[in-house]
Amino acid sequence: MANDVTLKRRTLLNSLLGVGVLGWLSSLLYPVLRYLRPLSDTTAGPLKLTPAEVEAVEKNKLVIARSGNRKVIVFGVNGELRALDAKCTHEGCTVQFVPGDSVVLCACHNGKYDVDGRVLSGPPPRPLTKWVATREGGSITLTREPT
Amino acid sequence: MSTAKAPVSERAFGWLDERFGVQKLVDWARHKEVPIGGHSMVWYYLGGTTLFFFTVQIVSGVLLLMYYQAGEATSYESIRYITTKVPFGWLVRSIHCWSAHLMIVSLVVHMFSTLLLKAYRKPRELTWVTGFGLFGLALGFGFSGYLLPWNELAFFATSVGTDSVKGVPLVGQWLLEVMRGGPDVTINTLYRFFALHVVILPVLTVGVVGVHLAFIQVQGMAKGMAHQKHDRPGLRFFPDFLVRDLLLWLCCLIVLAVLVYNLPYGPGVPGVEWELGKKANPLAPAYPGIKPEWYFLWIYQLLKEFPPHLFGMEGPQAALLVVTALMGTWALIPFLDRRARGGQPSPMFTDLAMAALIFLSYLTLQAWDIGGHRTLTAEPDPRAVAWACGLITLGIGSCITLLRALAYRSRWFILSFAALLQVVLNGLVHVDYLVAGAIALAVAVVGVKLLGRRLETGGAS
Repeated sequence: MANDVTLKRRTLLNSLLGVGVLGWLSSLLYPVLRYLRPLSDTTAGPLKLTPAEVEAVEKNKLVIARSGNRKVIVFGVNGELRALDAKCTHEGCTVQFVPGDSVVLCACHNGKYDVDGRVLSGPPPRPLTKWVATREGGSITLTREPT
Repeated sequence: MSTAKAPVSERAFGWLDERFGVQKLVDWARHKEVPIGGHSMVWYYLGGTTLFFFTVQIVSGVLLLMYYQAGEATSYESIRYITTKVPFGWLVRSIHCWSAHLMIVSLVVHMFSTLLLKAYRKPRELTWVTGFGLFGLALGFGFSGYLLPWNELAFFATSVGTDSVKGVPLVGQWLLEVMRGGPDVTINTLYRFFALHVVILPVLTVGVVGVHLAFIQVQGMAKGMAHQKHDRPGLRFFPDFLVRDLLLWLCCLIVLAVLVYNLPYGPGVPGVEWELGKKANPLAPAYPGIKPEWYFLWIYQLLKEFPPHLFGMEGPQAALLVVTALMGTWALIPFLDRRARGGQPSPMFTDLAMAALIFLSYLTLQAWDIGGHRTLTAEPDPRAVAWACGLITLGIGSCITLLRALAYRSRWFILSFAALLQVVLNGLVHVDYLVAGAIALAVAVVGVKLLGRRLETGGAS
């Protein structure tokens, strides 16, 4: 009988100790895990092209602009500016515009999109998000289309 | 008349033995033996050659660290400085790159030989598991080191490689950001990969190698299946086996030197080249023909073969699931192979190794676009590539199967037949890769159910 009581007490103490150790390990691990994840990008809203990027659009009808974590490909089709997310939805490679075929190509796994970002062929699972390019005087502003 | 003094070496040994008992270590080394018989001794040397190349990696890596500077404005420039200005810098970098590839080759052959000889059988299951862990670490070294020159090829290969992890359920996005140091591959990714490559992975590898070797010391090297009950004396490890080991290491060094001198930037095959090329530009579009290193090519090709969506998952997520399942099965082979555990021949697992080779070869050859013609603007015709790679794999696979049947009297071919069936269906008949895979899998399952046991009891190991 006395042994049973001792055993139960020992089991209880061991369980409490186990919970304590787990808590202690979590308190050590949490800051490390939190430290490893970088702060999220705070840039949001419209993306204004720099003068150099505007010049590249005027000259080459093509530029890939970046603001924070966002990467947008801007290209001209029939005199009209189009803008799409530049990250392929398959494996995240940067896409390119092929003017001759009027397709947006990801060369990593041969994914093809049309000029509106819709998947034409290859493995991309989703279309590219569209942006609206607005010219105001000498500047170009890109606004993400709601998905 | 004074007595002659003992030689200095003996006195030094005595001095050490008095303090640390090194005689015990010498006695232990004298009794250590390597089994003889059952199969060629050559398979016992491959762990040693892998360790040799790993040592070369550490030495050449430390030398590269003397000049390499991680940073957006310095990574690419410092590698260019090493290869163009530093005396023998090209040599050190080339040694580092070549020995990395040779280490993986040696490791893969070591792993397949262990599988074919069933050296993982009881009680050596954990030696296999730690070995598989080392294989994973070696892949980690290759992947993290690839980005460090911060060139275009490295940038895109890392973008693709890291993007795959976002498909991991629940923690995918977190894992992606932790690996990259943000949502995209940036210089922060390079900092993290640098820490991984020069600190975290080496420390882990030294630890796991230590455990792997400790297991081998405690249990000894595995005897061949046919000779496991024979009590024949083996080859003395010290000095007989060690001297042969050192001789082979010398041969490896000569091979390394010949390769480094004649092909300092690799053979020029995609996945086995390290020309510096252009500096990474995160805003430049990916260009055609970007390939990861050769041992990741099968995953690269698998990602291409998956459709955009499959069973409610996105294609890359489904591909990652398949790769994880295959790798997990591979790691657990000693626990799945019940016949080898009981000391009986297990031809099914020999055939599994052959099927794995056929599966990996077909995907790798396709990733190399063999049989297709790539131009700057156009991808090679996938049908022409599949046809050529199918023919090559079928030819080599059939020859190996014939060799097994005639030379080793093997009768167990269900899995390799299924793997070849997938190759024929996809490569020569142009059935979709996944449909062909499903048909081959069904054939394998039915074949194992109907014929497996009968063949297993009648076949050789």
